[in-house]
Amino acid sequence: MVEGEFKIVFTGPMGAGKTTAIAAISDEPPVSTDVVNNDRVAFDKELTTAGLDYGHIALADGAAVRLYGTPGQLRFRFMWDILGNNAAGIILLLDASQADALVQLDAFVDAFGAGKRSPIVVGVGRAAAAGALPLDAFAQRLESRGLTLPVFGVDVRRRDDVLLLVDTLLCLLELGDRRTA
Amino acid sequence: MSAGPRFGRVATGVAQKQLEALAQTTPGVVSAVLLSSDGFEVASLQVGSAGAARLAAMGSSLSAIGSAIAREAGIVECTRMIIESDSGVVVVMGIPDARPPLSLAVIAREDCVLGQLLWAARNCCVTIARAFRE
Ligand SMILES: Nc1nc2c(ncn2[C@@H]2O[C@H](COP(=O)(O)OP(=O)(O)OP(=O)(O)O)[C@@H](O)[C@H]2O)c(=O)[nH]1
Ligand SMILES: [Mg+2]
Repeated sequence: MVEGEFKIVFTGPMGAGKTTAIAAISDEPPVSTDVVNNDRVAFDKELTTAGLDYGHIALADGAAVRLYGTPGQLRFRFMWDILGNNAAGIILLLDASQADALVQLDAFVDAFGAGKRSPIVVGVGRAAAAGALPLDAFAQRLESRGLTLPVFGVDVRRRDDVLLLVDTLLCLLELGDRRTA
Repeated sequence: MSAGPRFGRVATGVAQKQLEALAQTTPGVVSAVLLSSDGFEVASLQVGSAGAARLAAMGSSLSAIGSAIAREAGIVECTRMIIESDSGVVVVMGIPDARPPLSLAVIAREDCVLGQLLWAARNCCVTIARAFRE
């Protein structure tokens, strides 16, 4: 079992659901730095994250996870590096209904070390929406770059879906520990 | 990726003039950016456009994190943040009741008088607030 306290970072483009996902699983109401969104063209929603999200969960086996969310918009890129520092693992959320979802996949995978610094688990939302990219497209894109990362279809509003991503990441961490032990 | 939102031209013009007045009347002011709470540059002074965009994004992150810390500490609303170093000062202040929410970030040299800088920046914010309420 993995023990101790882990720092996990939720990242991905605007509207993918980082803030929603952390709120769905955090034991306590998360710290939010959401502000009025003035760019309804980029993504039509009322609020957007300017700083970070922060939540916390205690797991049944005694491990605890600190959950950090990044802002999604590119001008906040400097926060990605600050928040990504010392992360045990990354959960990358994407929105399959966005036309540029695969470009975003590449960009965020690269920005967070392509799985080499710390493991990455990919959660794809809205894959059932009309005109959305199929899940396979994400796995294939990664494969074409020689990367094998777990890819799941998720609804970030559902606690169980988000916990699946966290559990998978913790499993990868455990495997990594065994390999280096 | 979109080009970003547009803010009212008249109000932006007023803001630009206020930033210029701030720099002219306050010794030590190096640059200033008026920014939206989600990190867009609304008006700027004495910084290249890339610098202004970066400062706007960073200023909005700071102010969002400052507000979250204030809430956590139970002191309700963060009105300004001051970053001091041996070589200068950065002040980020909220523009009261602006729609959309805005902040002013001012960078000053270490030889500025902090009290004077804060007072001048505050006045600048109040005038800008009026323009963004109309
Ligand atoms: N209808 C629908 N809404 C969804 C689905 N998945 C996520 N959402 C909504 O999409 C929105 C995601 O917003 P946020 O959680 O603020 O997204 P974010 O990734 O934090 O975005 P930024 O902080 O702006 O980068 C929320 O309103 C969710 O309820 C879905 O499958 N269907
Ligand atoms: Mg968010």
